[in-house]
Amino acid sequence: MKVLIVEDERPMALEMEAFLKKAFYICDLAFSARQANELLDNNPYNFILLDLGLPDKDGLVVLKEAKLKCPDASYIILTARGDLEDRIKGLDLGADDYLPKPFSLLELQSRMAAISRRKSGLAGSLVQLGDFSIDLNQRLVFFGKTSIELSKKEFDLLSYLLLHKNRPLTRLQLSEHIWGSFSDDDYDSNYIDVHIKNIRKKLTVHAPADWLQTIRGIGYKIKS
Amino acid sequence: MKLLNKLTLYHTLSKTVIVILFTALLPLLVREIASRYTNTALQEQKNKVLQTIDKNGIDYYFQGDSSYGSYTMLKEEYISLDAAPAGFPADTIETTQRIVDKDTLTYRILSHVFEYNHKKYLLEIGKTLAAIDQYNAPLQRVALYALAGLILATLLIDLFFTRLLLRPLGIIIRTKLLNRKFPFKDSHPPVKTTTTDFRYLDDSIIDLMNKITAAFDKEREFTSNASHELMTPISILQNKMENLMDAMPQEEAQEKIMGMMQTLNRLKKIVRSLLLISRIENDQFVRQDSVQAYSLVEEVRAELEDRIEAGCISIEINVSRSVTLHSLNRDLLFQLLYNLINNAIRYNKKEGSIRIYDNAETTEPYILTIEDTGIGIDKADLPFIFNRFKKGSSTTTEGFGIGLSIVKSIAQYHGIELQLVSEKGLGTTCSIVFPAQITSMSPSLPA
Repeated sequence: MKVLIVEDERPMALEMEAFLKKAFYICDLAFSARQANELLDNNPYNFILLDLGLPDKDGLVVLKEAKLKCPDASYIILTARGDLEDRIKGLDLGADDYLPKPFSLLELQSRMAAISRRKSGLAGSLVQLGDFSIDLNQRLVFFGKTSIELSKKEFDLLSYLLLHKNRPLTRLQLSEHIWGSFSDDDYDSNYIDVHIKNIRKKLTVHAPADWLQTIRGIGYKIKS
Repeated sequence: MKLLNKLTLYHTLSKTVIVILFTALLPLLVREIASRYTNTALQEQKNKVLQTIDKNGIDYYFQGDSSYGSYTMLKEEYISLDAAPAGFPADTIETTQRIVDKDTLTYRILSHVFEYNHKKYLLEIGKTLAAIDQYNAPLQRVALYALAGLILATLLIDLFFTRLLLRPLGIIIRTKLLNRKFPFKDSHPPVKTTTTDFRYLDDSIIDLMNKITAAFDKEREFTSNASHELMTPISILQNKMENLMDAMPQEEAQEKIMGMMQTLNRLKKIVRSLLLISRIENDQFVRQDSVQAYSLVEEVRAELEDRIEAGCISIEINVSRSVTLHSLNRDLLFQLLYNLINNAIRYNKKEGSIRIYDNAETTEPYILTIEDTGIGIDKADLPFIFNRFKKGSSTTTEGFGIGLSIVKSIAQYHGIELQLVSEKGLGTTCSIVFPAQITSMSPSLPA
């Protein structure tokens, strides 16, 4: 997967690159609209991560131009402006998703994965975890042929942990994923624990789910 | 009381007092004038008699007799001339009774003692009181009518003129002071008036409003800019920490980084909240949604289900399904309810309860009430509870007190009134009072 990161804040672009590289994405960096245009002229990309607040051109114009040069790529808009209007305009212009700054890199990767899944259709969306199989597209969990009912949040948590499997996720990261800007400031609370407890309860009726691990003092991870 | 009413009352009262005084004094006055006039008339008659005596001698009257007396046909006036009894006072005018031709009548009598040919004579000229007072009553009546007419006329003129004079004040109060909602977006032209006091007042108010608006705009702009500028470094820090967490898998390092991330997240929440408030205050949200009150409350409850479960809190929702709220921003109203219900959960006791109910069955306005059995709020803290960053002195739970100030901004933006009642240790009741124009009841649907 080839990714073009268009972001004028260098440190920010570099962190994104470092993170995505570990997830096996190949990244190019553009710090201005001009650089982005040059790169788009000569390279095909699967993903274009576009900051709207570029110094040399309006981000929405850059998006329009990029769409012409690279119509098959998936576009994610990144912006600190966070205005609803920008978001609507961006999505109208054909962006696939929108992430307001500051965002978690885990969230960025999960959005990219979701877009990939959506675009590739059903193929390869069934993941095996112990005795369970998880259909990320249909949002279903199976034990053999039996479907297990999970609530929306429970499934969101499970799929987020699954996407970042073998990486411990803190309660903060998990609650930010499911509550977004509604996530609260009191992290000593155990709302995430309640959900995990419920997921475990529903799964262990059928078979042990020891791949869902508690990391003491940190949070949870899925080990596979 | 309004100034105009006060002035009207004052005018009416002062004029009533004048009328009462005049009515009370009028008979006395008229009598006094009549009596004075009578006295003068009697004096004049006396002088005439004396002149006649001077000219023609006293026998002109006596005609050989030793006394003279005469009265008019109806005994209204009489005159008598006689020898003066010894020791009779020289000159008097008094009201007394006389028997004239068998009739006892009350007269005003001038008595005059004079010497003529070394003899003392007493001249009496009298006029009946009935004759003197005969014009009093009609005179009084006419005077009263005239006065009443004049008073009424001046009162009307006074009222009309005060009304005219005070009209600019009324306009100033109506357009510049009443129902002005902060921030002042609607501007009103200066009021037309030639009264310098009002001119000064109006100019001062316009000036003050402009200053307040300018200061408020500046603060808003600052908050908005500062928040945007802060977002980028926070972004970079967050991403650096996430990468660092991957790079340092040791447990101790992970915990430290997690602590840093939590602090950073707190900063992020504050900045985000400030940005949200500044967006609300900048009018950046559209108010065009219609939502069913019940479904919104249910949605918030579902969103908070895990917290309710974690706190072992029982929640009872008793909200009518027939109430729809209009012309509002659904996301903002959701946030408002979310923050309030979240507080009811967060500051509740273990195994406490929450009751959410409305008054759809009774009268307007529509009120949605959230009642909890939580720790309550100190009376001293209640007035500050909606202020930015103000945290109750007695609260031990982590929190930076911005949730309620978001609630306040959203409420203000929709013209919603919030009423908080709280008893320390017993719980808090928050009532959300919706303005009538955004509430509508559909014919009740099956529950």
